[in-house]
Amino acid sequence: MKRTLLAVTALLLAGTSLAQTKTLTVYSGRAKTFVDPVVQQFERQTGIKVNVRYGTDAQLVAALREEGSKSPADVYWGNSVGALGELAEEGKFTKLGTALTRNVSSDYLPDDRTWLPTTVRFRTLAYNTGKIKPEQLPDSILDLPKMTSLKGRIGWTVSYPSFQDFLAAMISKYGEATTRQWIEGMKALQPKDYKTSNVGMLEAMRAGEIDVALTNHYYIQRVNRLSYPIDTYFFKNGDIGNLGNATGAAILKTSKNTASAARFLSALVAKDAQTFFLSVNFEYPVIGNILQPTTMLPYSDVSKRSPRIDPTVLPKNIDKAQKLLRDAGLL
Amino acid sequence: MNARRPHPLLLLPAILAVLGVLLPLVYLALRALGAESSELREIVFRTRNLELLANTLLLTLGVLGGTTLIALPLAYLAARTTLRPRRLLTLLGVLPLAIPGYVGAYALIAASGAGGTIDALTGIRWPGPGGYWGALGVLTLFTFPYLFLNLHAALRTQDPALEDAARLLGRTPWQTFREVTLPYLRPAWLSGALLIALHVLGDFSVVSLMRYPTFSAAIYQQYTAAYDRVYSAWLALALLLVTGAALLLEARLMRGVRLSRVSPGGTRPPRTVPLGRAAPLAWVFLAVLAGAALVVPLGTIVYWLRLETNPFAWSALLEAFQGALGAAAVAAVTTTALAFPLAYIGSRHSGPLARLTERAAYLGYATPPLAFALALVFFTLRVAPPLYQTFTLLIAAYTLHFLAEAVGPVRTSLLTATPRLEEAGRLLGLSAPQTLRRVTLPLVRPGLLVSAAFVFLSVLKELPLTLLLSPIGFETLSRNVWSYTEEAQYASAAPYALALAVSGALLTLLILRREDRRVPRPPPSSPPAASQPAASPPATPSTPKDDPA
Repeated sequence: MKRTLLAVTALLLAGTSLAQTKTLTVYSGRAKTFVDPVVQQFERQTGIKVNVRYGTDAQLVAALREEGSKSPADVYWGNSVGALGELAEEGKFTKLGTALTRNVSSDYLPDDRTWLPTTVRFRTLAYNTGKIKPEQLPDSILDLPKMTSLKGRIGWTVSYPSFQDFLAAMISKYGEATTRQWIEGMKALQPKDYKTSNVGMLEAMRAGEIDVALTNHYYIQRVNRLSYPIDTYFFKNGDIGNLGNATGAAILKTSKNTASAARFLSALVAKDAQTFFLSVNFEYPVIGNILQPTTMLPYSDVSKRSPRIDPTVLPKNIDKAQKLLRDAGLL
Repeated sequence: MNARRPHPLLLLPAILAVLGVLLPLVYLALRALGAESSELREIVFRTRNLELLANTLLLTLGVLGGTTLIALPLAYLAARTTLRPRRLLTLLGVLPLAIPGYVGAYALIAASGAGGTIDALTGIRWPGPGGYWGALGVLTLFTFPYLFLNLHAALRTQDPALEDAARLLGRTPWQTFREVTLPYLRPAWLSGALLIALHVLGDFSVVSLMRYPTFSAAIYQQYTAAYDRVYSAWLALALLLVTGAALLLEARLMRGVRLSRVSPGGTRPPRTVPLGRAAPLAWVFLAVLAGAALVVPLGTIVYWLRLETNPFAWSALLEAFQGALGAAAVAAVTTTALAFPLAYIGSRHSGPLARLTERAAYLGYATPPLAFALALVFFTLRVAPPLYQTFTLLIAAYTLHFLAEAVGPVRTSLLTATPRLEEAGRLLGLSAPQTLRRVTLPLVRPGLLVSAAFVFLSVLKELPLTLLLSPIGFETLSRNVWSYTEEAQYASAAPYALALAVSGALLTLLILRREDRRVPRPPPSSPPAASQPAASPPATPSTPKDDPA
């Protein structure tokens, strides 16, 4: 026991010595598997130690609110426009300089330049090619509740930030009443809720639990690589079910490491990271043309299918979306 | 028995234990009350709360029923029949404790459905577990050992004279079992049942993976999906109320229980009965139980382990292992150190103050860990910001939560170590600290080691405190199993799950070996005072209950 104690003490002291080097604290709503290689690369190239706190967007938004000025976070790396917008509206981010923003597509860059988009993704419907023909599926996601043949066979992720952004966009475009009706209609089909896990949802589809799933495009691309019988269905052009969304990164006003934080953000939109996001994660880049996997639609094609929703409206409606989900007993 | 008031210094750990739990809970309540009154009204009277309450209670009752159906026959087979080898039965009754519930859930999920382990090995599409029955199955399989340990200890120490008297009066074996043995098992069942109820109430991982909404699942969902924490704080308060009600119910049911002998006499081990024609049925029961609780989980882990293709998996595993072992070792030391004074007061002093002091340890244990973790977040941010997200806070949370587990073995050792040796030391001129160091501590060393092992195992498995309170970048086995399982990355989760299961198994075996060395001591020949009813649940179910006088 004494030797164990000494070993533990040595470990702790070794951990403490790391605090002497430059460090950056990142709160990441993005999952570790999607971003860790980029973080590792940044650490190797710059010598800056990056401590990443992983969690969901909502979890980290709530944490930053609770932490206030005492927050240890330097960078917030969000998984959705809604979360980034919430924090931006609350004045938690510093304004970014043009050196960071000039190479980035303006599609998702907020006017006040409080956060930097890092990738783009699109809402889609995944379907089991062994059980569903695409012609059977509706033109609009608004008609999905009418598909009574899918009762008990639909998967969704009500806790997932992109799903909540999608609801916020629906509220923005069609109003709360229509959105509430849609939620109640979907609920009547007894969808299976996979909480925050799109990977879990598609694994369930492979396992035969469900036949269709509301998800982001890149999850389908990833399982296609594994030869799962799952494919992508897009609704008609401009449908809310094809909503484009962005991940993004921001520097917190309370940060004491703004120079390192700026370097980190710069690395995220550099070609190396963008190539990784595209080729490994199957997420669309924000810096223009990079050679794309052949299974993915070109960005220009897929962006036409997406409705034009001003990114600033999403944070205004996220709270309403969450309230609708709570009223329906789903959250 | 020293009736003097305990030395004030010895009361300090109890005060720390109580304040350490109650203060954060006060801040949890403050946070819950911090919302606008209209929002509060909406939150409190939300109909979903009733649904969550019903689901939580149904699951708790179901698991209590399921664990009883497994633990009682198994304990009877191990303690009262000629079935051999007896040690194997005891192992089967304890080893599932080594597998955390979320690992069990991971294994059952990864074993089921198309592409799962069972499908891959046999071609049978075992339907995926989910909802109530999935949660019930997993929680039953991996918490029944708490009940088994209590019932097994009770069956081994029951005085057979009562059963003999019943048989002499013409009762059939079945009538004797129902009218004599079962009532005798009631306190053991109540203690084990309370532990299981606390585990079910406090579990969020199994119910989340199985998609069965309970209070704990809802708290975690709010924590991960809602942009504010008012509702999660309220749900945590509701969970505390339900837990408090369970504690009161157990105390009330335990109050009327008094077991004592009316006259002195020699004690004999209970007789064992041959199974006869029931033996094949018993073996089938044992095989199914071993398959479901051990073979399928471990087999699934090994199966998915072979599919792991990430070349960096093993170095990441090593890092997580170091993190987990480090935290578990430190917490084992701090918890055992804090437990010793509490157990000392309980065993060397009497009176209400001593009882209250000892009961202080159970406050942290009974508090659902998710609610406790949330409370600590609110508390540290407002009162002690430097503690927020630090290793120190994590260790403090582990210590307060698992203190009760450490008190049991230490107290048992202290009760075995007769106070007369301490008095002899004092008579020979040793000061109080010297007596403690040279007489008492050597005597209770085995108990201290068992306490440390228990806490070590529990910290290794602990998930909610680890998830919410870990310092940034702190990797553990439990946290990795959880995050990979939540993302259905079964191959990536396998190394961590296996490490947890093996570590747990080794520690469990160690604990069993030490318990085996404790031979039940025959009671003194003079009739002692009538035993008082047990007022609180035993911290460690594996500790044999004191032989009723």
